[in-house]
Amino acid sequence: MAMGGGKAEGGSKAVPYINVTPLIDVLLVLLIIFMVITPLKPSRFQADIPTQRDPNEDLSKLKPNPLTLVVSISTDLQLKLNADNIGSVNDTAPLSQKLLQLFQQRKEQHAYKPGMETRSDLPESERLEKTVFVKAPRSLKYGDVVKVIDAIKGAGANPVGLQVDDLPQ
Amino acid sequence: MGMAAGGGGGFQSEINVTPMVDIMLVLLIIFMVVTPLLQHGVTVSLPQNMNNPEEDTRINNETAIVIAIPNDGEYWLGKTKLTKDQIKPKVETMLGNIKKEEDKIVYIKSGVGVSYGEVVNVINEVRGLGVDKIGLVADKKKKAGSTAPAA
Repeated sequence: MAMGGGKAEGGSKAVPYINVTPLIDVLLVLLIIFMVITPLKPSRFQADIPTQRDPNEDLSKLKPNPLTLVVSISTDLQLKLNADNIGSVNDTAPLSQKLLQLFQQRKEQHAYKPGMETRSDLPESERLEKTVFVKAPRSLKYGDVVKVIDAIKGAGANPVGLQVDDLPQ
Repeated sequence: MGMAAGGGGGFQSEINVTPMVDIMLVLLIIFMVVTPLLQHGVTVSLPQNMNNPEEDTRINNETAIVIAIPNDGEYWLGKTKLTKDQIKPKVETMLGNIKKEEDKIVYIKSGVGVSYGEVVNVINEVRGLGVDKIGLVADKKKKAGSTAPAA
């Protein structure tokens, strides 16, 4: 009786029968696992921070910029844009919408950052005044603050500034 | 009766591939789980499913300054745990290695449960060194069916 296929010659060599089909199944599963689990390219929210406050600086001489936007988060997770209540940490849609509206208005009015009025070499989005500051009490969870920053960035704010002086507890 | 395939001279040299692959898979899974934890020094529960962070591969540079805050009161720079007072001098030394102005950025990997005041503490320590940008590290939302991230 002839031997089954796969055996080259009688006796001395071990010839494992490799089933290719399950092997490929296993490899594919591994590949999919890697694609899902592998850490993505690291990403981050870039935010500006104020420089060290100079104790001698006379703050009363600074003129407030009428285009300043400050998003304040209160300890009960409610949001305020300048002085208006506008949603909460878990419902950032009104904030995003309002910011989008504002930025659209500024685009139509060509409201540029100070110093950018004549820089036509830069794209519009970099010249417009879209700075948004974020002010949150120290006791808030970091995760909540990041959600707000996420929403603000989504609306196109650039840059996002963190206010770190005079924070409530 | 024929001899078992491959057997001869009393030595069984037939390789069972199936158990070998099983063992390899288990080893692989162990590595996949353990290696990322080893690399980054300390596990931090980063904010997940964020819509809009920008990708920044400089975070993995050797010269990148990454301060991890896994829990309130714990500050880690790479694999070393620091006290609050050690942050400023250590960051200052690392800043000396950074040549380009635009790379003078401190990354903060803070866990979602950490209080914001801790992050503010780190920011205050670092402000005086001429750093005006910080990067808050967060994980982007993984889209179902997305291919491997583009290089």
